[in-house]
Amino acid sequence: MAGEVITVTSGKGGVGKTTTTANVGSALALLGKKVVVFDGDIGLRNLDIVMGLENRIVYDVVDYVEGRCRLRQALIRDKRAPELYLLPTAQTRDKRAINPDQMIQVCDELRREFDYIIIDSPAGIEQGFHNALAPADRVLVVTNPEVSSVRDADRVIGLVESQQKGPVQLIINRLIAARVKRQEMLSTQDIMDVLSTEIIGIVPEDEAILSSSNRGTPVVFNGKGPAAMAYRDIARRLIGEDVPLSPPQPTSWWQRLFGKTE
Amino acid sequence: MIAIKGFKQGLLVIFSDSSNQPWLTRLRELEAKLSANPGFFKGGSVAFDVKATPLSEDDLRRSIELLQSYEVTLWAVLTGDEATRARVRALGLADRLAPPAPAPAPIPHPTREATPFIAATPSPATEPPAHISPIEASDAEGTDGLLVRHRVRSGQVLRHPGHVVVIGDVNPGAQLIAGGDIIVWGRLEGSAHAGALGDDHAVICALEMSPSFIRIADVVRMPRPSKRRSRGKAGSAQMARVEDQEIVFVAWNSADGIFE
Repeated sequence: MAGEVITVTSGKGGVGKTTTTANVGSALALLGKKVVVFDGDIGLRNLDIVMGLENRIVYDVVDYVEGRCRLRQALIRDKRAPELYLLPTAQTRDKRAINPDQMIQVCDELRREFDYIIIDSPAGIEQGFHNALAPADRVLVVTNPEVSSVRDADRVIGLVESQQKGPVQLIINRLIAARVKRQEMLSTQDIMDVLSTEIIGIVPEDEAILSSSNRGTPVVFNGKGPAAMAYRDIARRLIGEDVPLSPPQPTSWWQRLFGKTE
Repeated sequence: MIAIKGFKQGLLVIFSDSSNQPWLTRLRELEAKLSANPGFFKGGSVAFDVKATPLSEDDLRRSIELLQSYEVTLWAVLTGDEATRARVRALGLADRLAPPAPAPAPIPHPTREATPFIAATPSPATEPPAHISPIEASDAEGTDGLLVRHRVRSGQVLRHPGHVVVIGDVNPGAQLIAGGDIIVWGRLEGSAHAGALGDDHAVICALEMSPSFIRIADVVRMPRPSKRRSRGKAGSAQMARVEDQEIVFVAWNSADGIFE
């Protein structure tokens, strides 16, 4: 069976697309799937850093598209999972180095070998976004519980729907239940009122993310915190398991006082 | 005579055949419409139907320039004249409203709705403004109104010379522009401009009225201080209309005899 192409996008920058790509991709690989995470952000590549594979890049997807290497040579194996690969992009080029047809062609080749191809889309709705969207079978839109990020997600969902791509599923990232309770942050319901899109995961704010990104170790590899668990749940939902969405509970005052429970 | 009709794909300007006036005179007639109602046309894209009138390359270029000066994009010219059609193509414009179909369309899937959106930023020529479904036969005569049965999202623009009816919510950042009335069977949070061709008797109705911007003809109403999403209490259905050069909101339950 041909693999599935999943594009992770958001419109707004800094909401957690790359973190989501790295963690969902790694979690799928830990479930035994053959996975490639594909950096769609030509010129501003980050996925290699978050995956901790930066210094192993020899060739990238632009080298392949322009005929300087075979696709195999551009793929970097991540030994932390049985079958996990990174397809890096070029740092010294811009979005015009690849067009949507070439993205489709690259992904069609990857589909033959992999179960999942996860594309990390650049921010914005320009060519880089259209490149990342062109081959997509499924689109994950990442948003934060905050008005401007939800507005951009709405715009992106409209664009995805009008190109008849999809299904579109929503990841609410960096939710802080206690602040929602104090009405300082949009609730899941507030977000659904605007977006009315199926939610595939709610990822709580988690300090572990920052240090894991800096170290180049996605939290799903050994984290026990709430974000790691949420990303693993998203991966299980993607492979079709029925994992109920449990809204994150506010941590109680004594949990905050005595540190995290894990 | 110039007629403007609305299609799901956008606006069609029809230059009727009977006139023998030079093209420049007819463009002036169009310019009068553009300058009288800039709010209606601005940012939109139009197609021309010039019937059998032959147009030179210069005529076509002038048309494009005139529209550009009002921030309107010309994307297609329908013509009965073969030489004109060749010039239209040479300029990179479409010569029909539907993009060439690769194969005869299968019976449309009943659950899949057409996407009637006029893109906020039209793509340059040869195709209908981005992401628009091919024209449907039932649309061939144009429509008095535009009915949309889904949520209108941020960045999406619905523009029609007649009425615009949305069954669904209109999200913040979405835009409705109608020559006639605007009816939203849902929550109106985006911007709405009714009577955009100058009719200040036009009204805007919504089940829940919290627009970011509202305008009827030339009368503007700035947003009310936002009660930040007072959802749940969901105010009653309201109608906005012009009274003494001001937009007023009337709750629907007291709207008996509103039109006298």
